[in-house]
Amino acid sequence: MTLSECCRVLVDKDQAPLDPCRRPKINHQSVRRRRGSRRSEQWRNWLCEYRLRLHEREVNVNVHRLLDIYAIMERLERESAEGFALCAVAAEFTALDGAGIALMSESKALTSLCTSNVAAGALMDLELTLGEGPMVDASRGDAFEDTDLRETTSSEWTLYRSEAVALGARAIFAYPVRLGAIRFGALSLFRTSPGPLNAQQSSDAYLMASVIGRAILAEQADGSLVGLAGELNGESMLDFWVHQAAGMLAVQGSMSVKDALVFLRARAIGVGSQLSVLADRVVTGATRFDSTTREWIDETAVGHYKR
Amino acid sequence: MNRESLLIATLVELADNLVDDYDVIDVLTVLTHRCVDAVDVDAAGVMLASPTGELQFVASSSESMTILELFQIQTNEGPCVDCFHDGLAITNHALSESDGRWPLFTPRALALGFRAVHSLPMRLRGRTIGALNLFRTHQGTLSEDDVIVAQGLADVATIAILQHRSTLDASALNFQLNNALNSRVIIEQAKGMICQSTSCDMDEAFNRLRAHARNHNEGLTTLATRVVATSMAPNDLDIWVMTIPE
Repeated sequence: MTLSECCRVLVDKDQAPLDPCRRPKINHQSVRRRRGSRRSEQWRNWLCEYRLRLHEREVNVNVHRLLDIYAIMERLERESAEGFALCAVAAEFTALDGAGIALMSESKALTSLCTSNVAAGALMDLELTLGEGPMVDASRGDAFEDTDLRETTSSEWTLYRSEAVALGARAIFAYPVRLGAIRFGALSLFRTSPGPLNAQQSSDAYLMASVIGRAILAEQADGSLVGLAGELNGESMLDFWVHQAAGMLAVQGSMSVKDALVFLRARAIGVGSQLSVLADRVVTGATRFDSTTREWIDETAVGHYKR
Repeated sequence: MNRESLLIATLVELADNLVDDYDVIDVLTVLTHRCVDAVDVDAAGVMLASPTGELQFVASSSESMTILELFQIQTNEGPCVDCFHDGLAITNHALSESDGRWPLFTPRALALGFRAVHSLPMRLRGRTIGALNLFRTHQGTLSEDDVIVAQGLADVATIAILQHRSTLDASALNFQLNNALNSRVIIEQAKGMICQSTSCDMDEAFNRLRAHARNHNEGLTTLATRVVATSMAPNDLDIWVMTIPE
């Protein structure tokens, strides 16, 4: 099956099939140009490509849920002139009553990135004002779930709990947004009724937290969420040498591993290379960053070299 | 040591490792080394399912880049992917150039000298959470006993992931899986820093990290986190001295 045939079959019936359904080439200029309505077209483009890969079993069957996230993003993008907010995607995807995302600064202080509704906003304000709560803990440690705020036996954050219940929350679920030792912040989800998440919601919440991490990385690297398309589409964060390269680059440029990863990502976009290919060059010493001149140096020519 | 005593020694060592606050990656690394000792194979590795449903490498009997790549390919295709999807063991799959089953994986495995591959599912109450991958440089079949031992070790690996949680609902399992996967990423970040700071290769970077963690009774992931946070200078890590196998 060719790419365009696949698009006709796989693209939703209510959407015009795109032909050719190519993956957009990402570089700074095209990213800047691809604003407004063209963004949803781009989303549709790589949704299509991902479906093709899925169809040909190039990617794991379980990525169906990842596709569902893309579909929500694409629809929200189409429906609103301002584009979508990740917290709205998170709330809809996990089928919970609200979501909030907080970002962590270098000094470990949290600030709100977005909240999906009024109640989620109030919960975010509460937690940031008190400086305690599940999201604060998750941003620094591991995931945290409180399946019934009213019946809890824990003596932690008593003030937070009673106030959260007053704001309408009964169960709260918080997940670190992280990539290895890099901490971006946390995702918080709540429900107005008590009880644990079901198995699907639980894995969806972790998946959403991982997508948010990559979205934040993409945004920091090229200043727009459009970069997320390239980030999620085939640029796997599972490639171990991407993280090795970030560690090496951190030492080369005397920066944090987080900055190094953002820097690496931005460089990949800048030179139109795949993140994993650039990372491979860094690990093998073909490309390095000179801390004195603050410049990238290619020791060997950038050709068709790929591991 | 004969097979039986080797197995007993392996199980005792693993049980000894599964005490309070053990590091999952460290224990799984021990386990893969013991697979090579106790089963007739030359390399072993553990892959776990990531939140996206793709497999991610977490531990291996060898940290050389070439071996790690063999696991990396299996994010998309290979015996682990098939084993993970079907929840069924793949044993004694002879690798050959004419075999079109895994077009990316097979040539790479052959180039590294491997002739046969096995993959055993890591199962927990009907859910497959990953796979144990075994490689052999010579052809011929694993005995039935070997397969039983290997599946037993895959089950121990599953238990190691659970970390003392006896009542394990989906949330708790996802929690443990995610922490194990994230630990591996922390270790890779630290390896990159060690490699650059001390001009060693990735293999040695891992071994230094692991040796230092063991010498100072510190969790591998905790130590790697300290390296990334620059509260532990790579140059201050204990020197790794390769021990000669018994």
